[in-house]
Amino acid sequence: MKKLYMLAAFIFTTTLINGQLVKPNHSKDRTLANSQMNDYCRTCHTCENPTRFNPCFEQCARHGAQFSSNKSFEAGPDIVILDKLIKLYKPVIFSHKLHASMSEMSGGCTHCHHYSDKSGEIPACNKCHDEKADFTNLNEPSLKGAYHRQCLGCHREWGHENACQFCHQEIGLSDERVSTYDKTDIVGVPHPLIKAEQKYVYQTPYKQGPVVTFHHTDHVDLFGLKCTDCHKGDNCSLCHDTVKREEKVVKHVETCGKCHTEDNCNFCHSTKEKPAFNHSISTGFVLGHYHQDVDCNNCHQSVSNFVRPSTNCTDCHIHWAVGTFDHSVTGLTLNEYHEEEDCENCHIDRDFRVEPTCDNCHDDINYPEYIPGDRLSK
Amino acid sequence: MGIERREFLKTLAIASGTLAGVSSLKASDKAKLNPDRFGVLSDLTYCIGCRKCEWACNEANDLPNQPLDSFSDTSVFEQMRRPTSEKYTVVNSYADKGLDGGALNVKVQCMHCENPPCVSACIVGALRKHPDGPVTYNASACIGCRYCIITCPFQIPTYEYEKVLTPQVRKCTLCLERTIENEQLPACVEVCPTEAIIFGHREELIDVAHERIKKNPDKYIDHVYGEHEVGGTSWMYLSNQPFNEIGFPELSDNSPAELTESIQHGIFKGFSGPIMLFSLLGIIMKVMKKEEENE
Repeated sequence: MKKLYMLAAFIFTTTLINGQLVKPNHSKDRTLANSQMNDYCRTCHTCENPTRFNPCFEQCARHGAQFSSNKSFEAGPDIVILDKLIKLYKPVIFSHKLHASMSEMSGGCTHCHHYSDKSGEIPACNKCHDEKADFTNLNEPSLKGAYHRQCLGCHREWGHENACQFCHQEIGLSDERVSTYDKTDIVGVPHPLIKAEQKYVYQTPYKQGPVVTFHHTDHVDLFGLKCTDCHKGDNCSLCHDTVKREEKVVKHVETCGKCHTEDNCNFCHSTKEKPAFNHSISTGFVLGHYHQDVDCNNCHQSVSNFVRPSTNCTDCHIHWAVGTFDHSVTGLTLNEYHEEEDCENCHIDRDFRVEPTCDNCHDDINYPEYIPGDRLSK
Repeated sequence: MGIERREFLKTLAIASGTLAGVSSLKASDKAKLNPDRFGVLSDLTYCIGCRKCEWACNEANDLPNQPLDSFSDTSVFEQMRRPTSEKYTVVNSYADKGLDGGALNVKVQCMHCENPPCVSACIVGALRKHPDGPVTYNASACIGCRYCIITCPFQIPTYEYEKVLTPQVRKCTLCLERTIENEQLPACVEVCPTEAIIFGHREELIDVAHERIKKNPDKYIDHVYGEHEVGGTSWMYLSNQPFNEIGFPELSDNSPAELTESIQHGIFKGFSGPIMLFSLLGIIMKVMKKEEENE
């Protein structure tokens, strides 16, 4: 009995190793009596004289085929270009890397790939799926059916739409998709551009201040937060399952509290909608003509390591000196007599916030009646 | 008088008994069908509701059509639609209880029954069952009685009421010209992006359908709609939801045509019906005459 089990196990393993559990359907009506290879034979065998020991099987998924590849998704191509319909549409640019890394969350390669040969190689879809639909082969879809079932299965479930244009760009239209990839990522992979609202107003059960205004654009564009800084534990369905959107609760306290450690409840909770961040009102430091365009990070370090800089110019502008500073950026080009003067000759104690003085050299003239150069027209 | 009535009733009972016996006879002149006849298998789980089949059908049959893009409009799903004289096929959408928040879309068109009640009801033979599967319509033979519309268990044939002089009965043709005459696929099958509808020999399609159920017993309802309904239909469906919940009528395995045809054909077999009727009338007349003489 034990031997019998061993034998059964051996047969099972060898079949598995072969990669395909195939029961050849050499039925009576397709007899091999004349030993001639016909089209039916060629659906499975590649050579003209298949034998029992050298069946020369076509590498295609058939009855009970196996998937034995254990390759990482990174071994696959980044992008696959599907251009069979090049006469009708622009090629479909399929981001294999993006989809493969998503599949890591839902079962790996087999989520899409249903077959690999015994060496672990995954053949291209068109290796087995014919380009033309044919009613003599009803068991497997043609290439068109195979692609569409594969893609639309998920796209329909998540997007609840089946617009052709999502994949098939019409010839003549500019391809917006490729240029709108958000390089900062949301799930650790490049993601198509996400259209977020500029601000979100939440109604909360907090009685003292039920209204919370969250200025999303400010956090991204102004404070330089990356998507993943806040949306860390989110999975795809948070956005893609549009049906359940209403039930979603934003865990704002945990998310916001990570950065707003020193702020009290009133910072967010209010009785009415709050205006967007304004540097002058919130901090008392008016951002003038030049500071307006400066990245926040240049003065405040990173958002996670926020620094309150001094308001003294030279604390930041330590390199301001004769020869390195182009005075004309202040709106005043120094004339040749003053070009070589040290800063502190006019700007007492290098305090650039107060008005300059001429007293150090001149007795009879004063700023701003006299200016040491030409005022640039505004 | 009592005796008279009894005798009359007895005669009537004999006559009706004969009729009942005749009705159990099977119709013998059923159209011979090609064993390789065609059919279509519609797997509802693959249908994405893109309605391209509606567009392709209109194109192929010279029906009034709209631009392809306009068929992406899913607002039409808000109400159930039936085929009309200008639309041989329509797609309806039902909430898919299996797929989270998804929809199960059902393409509706002529089922091309194996033993079509419409063909049986047509008194002039304008509707015929083609040996290769389709139920065909010959407008030049049609007299416009619309019995076919009344008798169809799927309520498919429609009538061009708006045309006063040349109204026709309208329904899906299974693209007879394309398929059987030109070896092409039906227009709807050809355009279907997911190959949710596949065209092939009916017997093979039944095998394919059962194979799919066998491979995915959790996914499918173990029922190929149209395999046996009303004696079988050329158009068959696979679903992941009970068919009665998605607009399919619950029908017996016998074609309504079978009963009526067997009665009619049985009665008139060898002119037996008229002979029996006149014999019955003869008996009644004889009895009546006898009574008259007695009086």
